[in-house]
Amino acid sequence: MGAYIRTENLYKSFYNKKEKNDVLKGIDLSIDKGDIYGIVGFSGAGKSTLVRCINRLEEPDSGKVWIGDTEITALNKKQLAERRKKIGMVFQQFNLFDSMTVFQNIAYPLKLVKTPKKEIEAKVDKLLKLVGLSDKKYAYPGSLSGGQKQRVGIARALANDPDVLLSDEATSALDPQSTLSILDLLEQVNKELGVTIIMITHELEAAKRICSKVAVLENGSITESGKTSDIFLDPKSSTGKIFLEVYKEFRHDDTFTGGGGI
Amino acid sequence: MSFLKYPFWEVVKHAFSKEVWDTVFPAVWDTLYMVALSAVITLVLGILLGIGLSVISKDGVRPVPVLNETAGTIVNCLRSLPSMIMIIVTLPLARALLGQSYGSNACIIALAASCIPMYARLVQGAFVEIPKGKIEAAKAMGSSSAAIVFHIMLPEAIPSIIRGFTVALIGIISMTALAGNFGAGGIGDIAVRFGFNRFYHDMLIASVLVLIVMVQVAQLAGDLISNLILRKRHLI
Repeated sequence: MGAYIRTENLYKSFYNKKEKNDVLKGIDLSIDKGDIYGIVGFSGAGKSTLVRCINRLEEPDSGKVWIGDTEITALNKKQLAERRKKIGMVFQQFNLFDSMTVFQNIAYPLKLVKTPKKEIEAKVDKLLKLVGLSDKKYAYPGSLSGGQKQRVGIARALANDPDVLLSDEATSALDPQSTLSILDLLEQVNKELGVTIIMITHELEAAKRICSKVAVLENGSITESGKTSDIFLDPKSSTGKIFLEVYKEFRHDDTFTGGGGI
Repeated sequence: MSFLKYPFWEVVKHAFSKEVWDTVFPAVWDTLYMVALSAVITLVLGILLGIGLSVISKDGVRPVPVLNETAGTIVNCLRSLPSMIMIIVTLPLARALLGQSYGSNACIIALAASCIPMYARLVQGAFVEIPKGKIEAAKAMGSSSAAIVFHIMLPEAIPSIIRGFTVALIGIISMTALAGNFGAGGIGDIAVRFGFNRFYHDMLIASVLVLIVMVQVAQLAGDLISNLILRKRHLI
């Protein structure tokens, strides 16, 4: 089966007072349908920029992005907005709308595609059940904990039955326990709904726990990629090695019990 | 009654007499009329202008650099004029539109011209404070620009917009008092004509009291509404 999500030679630079900062230097990715694909690396490696180029929240300077048969980078504004409705995204800072209840937050993407009221109600209830927040239906995000907020974020991202879910450091602002439960939820979503997930993270454990494949991003280039077990068993890149080193260092800290494999 | 002729407490006591309030009370209504009308105009047009300015600004949902610069300059020019000068400048406009350059209605034009740009900037500020990520989340879901403005930005910023309106409203009240000097009538007119020109210090005290009460009510109401919304959203 050919890759479902592909990027070809993606370049992106930011300019800060005329100082050019190359964030992505020719990224080639290919991600199969139904995968949970991890992109790991240190802060500033370009992970977020990369994932944001996939739904063009950031416009790449050059290069192409495909999802399925659609070349995302070739879409005009209107087509892009249309396609984005089927690409879910979860953020580190949750980015829930404080002015809306949990119900309204999840219903918002459905309203965008003019779903009838009854269907919205049923769909939101289903999603709330999936993320285990049925009792918080009419609560405001301000009253929820971080983990609960991210559950709402995931439910909202799934509202329009996306085929792709982009997760930009979804667990990085959460405590270890919530992190685990969110990771499990992402895995469940991937298994039950068949959503392809691209997961950005700087937490090795998170990638190790649920990603089937990972790519290591270092200074804007992918230094290695492949099956998660292979990469973590025998990292070739310096980032991979440091990651593993740090991981072993903290191994005795049993916050994460998912371990195994190494 | 003047401080020059009567003992302090006599004057203060007289400030609450029927005699004084028979003159002051109608002026209060004039002031309320001007403030209310200007406030409504400022609220509606200020929010619209504020939305427009944020939408076309550099980081807005639909940046239009040239228009942004132009509109920004015009707004800044209007804001450069002190209230008093704005009143003088808009007198001919009032005469052209209403046929007379004095009275409550004429003053409302000056009030609006002065307060709309000011409030628009406050509204713009309220929008800027919305975390960028929320707008991005809406964009990532495929929202149209209109949906982002009306379904996300406006509701998210409404507590700040209300707080800003409190500031604008107090500005309107103080400017209304000033306009009294230019034939608009109202409480400012009383304070100047009686309190200043004729040394009726009891009337001056009454006018000051009225203004203090008005501003307090505006501030308390603004804080109350904005806090109610924030509390409902569990943000305070």
